[in-house]
Amino acid sequence: METVSTYQELLDVQKLSEMKQELGDGFTTVVRHYQAGVLHRPERIRQAIRDQDAERVAMESHSLKSVCRQVGLARMGDMAAELESLGTAGNFEQAESLVERLIAASVTANQELTCHCAGIDLPRPFFEKGGRVSSP
Amino acid sequence: MAHILVVDDDESFRLYLVTLLGQAGHTVLEADNGQSALEWCASAPVDLIITDIFMPKMDGIDLLAAVRADRPQVKVIAISGGYKAMSSRVTLEMATSFGAVDIINKPFQAGTVLQKVTRALESTDAEPIKDI
Repeated sequence: METVSTYQELLDVQKLSEMKQELGDGFTTVVRHYQAGVLHRPERIRQAIRDQDAERVAMESHSLKSVCRQVGLARMGDMAAELESLGTAGNFEQAESLVERLIAASVTANQELTCHCAGIDLPRPFFEKGGRVSSP
Repeated sequence: MAHILVVDDDESFRLYLVTLLGQAGHTVLEADNGQSALEWCASAPVDLIITDIFMPKMDGIDLLAAVRADRPQVKVIAISGGYKAMSSRVTLEMATSFGAVDIINKPFQAGTVLQKVTRALESTDAEPIKDI
């Protein structure tokens, strides 16, 4: 079962801080763009899996992997990398299960990015016990 | 400051690079494939191209070949994260053999990009920069 610990790993705050410094006023524009476009890409991968289109699964996953790693969404990047391999191998069964986890991760990442941009540090009570608690 | 053309089919990467380079004071143009990039080169001054390798319509290698043949004064930096069996290292080595002056792996550090852009613009010829 997927654990909430993945939530903790979604955002690389250090990477985002670096981006903020590097991009200056453009930081918010770039992040908003990611939120509007990139974080919906897992749904495109899911559709490609449903269409049994291995090439599209691999291509969409590859693209998402690169973008996620660029903005510090390392965990999502790793999941996309795994999906890329599954797509290349035409393994739709495993890909279907993984893409659902990726979609859930993208929803959380979206919320996290919004809070990060607004300077809000969300309370995370589920990290109290060593930062690792299973989903209900 | 230079005129830099950013070529990537992924809008997110383009936006990132356009924002970064614009912030550094450069004039930045953008294209989503090699063909559009060549159209820009024909209609606007371009000092440096930063291009992805895997793109639809015309990929980065074909773009490199065309630029080397028709506009040798324009320097090209190739950028890639690899695709399928082609690792980014293999891909970027190929780009170098086709005339890229430098290479950048995805994901990249903004500081690395700015440093490589500066070095490429300062270099006097279109030969690969030695320490890549």
